[in-house]
Amino acid sequence: MFFKRFPLLTIFIVSGIFSFNASELQAADDNTTLRQQLLELQQQQQNYQKQIDTLDKRLNETAKSSSTAVNTSVSSSPLKIGLSGLFATGGSSVDNSELANLQAGGHDPSKNGFTVQNVELSIGGIVDPYYDAQANIIILINAAGETVVELEEAFFTTRSLPWGLQLKGGQYFTEFGRQNKQHPHTWAFVDQPVVLSRFFGGDGLRSQGLRASWLMPTDWYSEIYFGMQNAKGETVTSFLNVAGEDIGGRTLIDRNTRGSGDLLYSARWLNGFDFSDTLSMNFGVSGLWGPNASGTSTDTQIYGTDLYLKWQPTTSQRGYPFVAWHTEILKRHYEAGDPGDNTRETLKDWGLFTQALWGFKPGWVAGLRWEYATADGNTSSDPLRDTRKRLSPNLTWHTSEYSKVRLQYNRDWTESLAEKTADTVWLQFEFSLGSHMAHKF
Amino acid sequence: MKSLYKTILGTMILIVMSGHANAVLRVETTTQDLAAIAKAIGGQHIEVHSLTLGTRDPHFAVAKPSMIRRVYRADLLLVIGAEMEIGWLPPLLQSARNNRVQPGNPGYLDLSQSVSLLNQIKGPVTRAMGDVHANGNPHYWLDPRNGIRMAKMIALQLEQLDPEHASSYQANFNTFEKALTVKITEWQDSLLFLKNTPVIAYHTSFVYLADAFGFNIVNEVEPKPGIAPTISSLSRLVSQIKKEQIELLIIEPYYQQRSARYLNEQTGIQIAIIPQSVGARPSIKTYIDLFDSIVKALQLKEAK
Repeated sequence: MFFKRFPLLTIFIVSGIFSFNASELQAADDNTTLRQQLLELQQQQQNYQKQIDTLDKRLNETAKSSSTAVNTSVSSSPLKIGLSGLFATGGSSVDNSELANLQAGGHDPSKNGFTVQNVELSIGGIVDPYYDAQANIIILINAAGETVVELEEAFFTTRSLPWGLQLKGGQYFTEFGRQNKQHPHTWAFVDQPVVLSRFFGGDGLRSQGLRASWLMPTDWYSEIYFGMQNAKGETVTSFLNVAGEDIGGRTLIDRNTRGSGDLLYSARWLNGFDFSDTLSMNFGVSGLWGPNASGTSTDTQIYGTDLYLKWQPTTSQRGYPFVAWHTEILKRHYEAGDPGDNTRETLKDWGLFTQALWGFKPGWVAGLRWEYATADGNTSSDPLRDTRKRLSPNLTWHTSEYSKVRLQYNRDWTESLAEKTADTVWLQFEFSLGSHMAHKF
Repeated sequence: MKSLYKTILGTMILIVMSGHANAVLRVETTTQDLAAIAKAIGGQHIEVHSLTLGTRDPHFAVAKPSMIRRVYRADLLLVIGAEMEIGWLPPLLQSARNNRVQPGNPGYLDLSQSVSLLNQIKGPVTRAMGDVHANGNPHYWLDPRNGIRMAKMIALQLEQLDPEHASSYQANFNTFEKALTVKITEWQDSLLFLKNTPVIAYHTSFVYLADAFGFNIVNEVEPKPGIAPTISSLSRLVSQIKKEQIELLIIEPYYQQRSARYLNEQTGIQIAIIPQSVGARPSIKTYIDLFDSIVKALQLKEAK
């Protein structure tokens, strides 16, 4: 069905590209007719410039040279290169093996002592009038002390498809919720939320694929994303994942992609509103559908909703003060075991995190995060499915736009832990070199 | 299914047509100053809106979703340039996917190209120097003579995008320029007393204002651009103010006034809070209003 309509879609896209060329030609015509007017205006301008210069002289000041550029040439788009480093040190009331279960994120500080959380090389830029491209290469030192280099992301994005459409392809973070796409150096806490580590693994949900998005013609910002990605690999843990891994006491089989039904499908609907000049909101719902490797025909579904509210008074210095509130709730249905298998069950997990940030003076942000994650059934001994709560207050000092220091305390309540609770303190440092980082909403 | 498909196709055609049947040019600007000038030139032929508020520092804006929607619909995008919007405009332009306003196309206009920028730095620039812009200081709208240059560039661009109303844009430009030229003389006359006097600024944002009115900015409260003052940097300033008998400190309304007040307590230096942009106060609605307010704020010193 999809392929039947594909030629029509192609016509849409191609006709869109042609309409751009037509408007460029139109602009060129206008250019020639305008050149005359331009000359007249330039003369006029020179007369006025004389008047201005006279004013200047009254102040016995050297008149500034008139350099009224009338073209709109733009500097070329150089490659944007950035290197950021994220380091942490800290200590916990529990030992390293237990701490590794509590801090399940691949970039979380996860051992007593020092952790190199993430060193990220980011290269990107404008390819041509049609594409942007970016690659993020990460280097980290894991809990075993080994250096790991990974192609975290490498993707292209279209710049100018018609009708608010945009395509993205390559290896990239799946658009699910708000937090999953964020890189460690933009996190508001030193570690990633528990529920994301459980559903998406240590490194966030990302894979190879293609996604389309449509900026809808509504009065408010409303965008729909639809994507297809490979379901296999260590960054797609709730789906085909890697053979031999465990979930809910089952060992995953080596299940391969045999057809389009074995891909991971994702959808997201994101809305943005400004309630006033000082209060803005993002609200999104997301869904994931794909196969899992607990059987030959088993599937997983994950649903989520996310809310982000940000307040900033009309008068603010360097973006401060502000208050931001971010909440996500996620639910997973994991079919475990093929039909006919008498141990077949559906693993049901859910979790949430809610966090508030208060930028109380330029450079200073106080944060508080509350998390909860649980699953149906007797899961109290499984560190990735037990009932868990975590409270994390923190304080961040952005020494400049390019560096920060963060102190965070984690209080854990965890069923699977012998002590049931854990107390941990982390101190984090970040630097970023190179291209200016984006100011994200 | 077939009827659903027809509905979708029909909707898409409607959307495309509504986009092209729009008679009024949609102009988005990164600051309210640009919006005010554009409105003066475009009049009723354009619909103009600023992405940021004049009460905030435009360098530290964030790319909000509502901005994506606005830039997507824009026919013309006016930017300050010179790295002023470096933190938020590139991601915004990427999300907005509007080819008309991409750099290089007629719908994108960088107004820093209409003026000669001050503080261009020859030689190496590092971030150890603070928020330094190697290509020049981006606060050029604070010289009213640059307002004329900006208005002219905007007029030319509007004429190119909307030749039907070219004569109207030209006429509006002439009116704007004459009014501003007269006002510049008035403002310079009112501020003659400031000529060659030493002044302290909070941030390196008033170099164009100083250039237009002939006063000398001898130092900044920030030890490096964008770096907050410390106890020791303030005490060095106290001795400089006393030694050089500096009588005026100028600061934007959005900066914390604490350090300025401290300097005032220590030395008696007068503080003039300078509205740096259209919209910085509700009463400042036009580019001329802006300088009327600035001149009034600077005259506080004379009233002493």
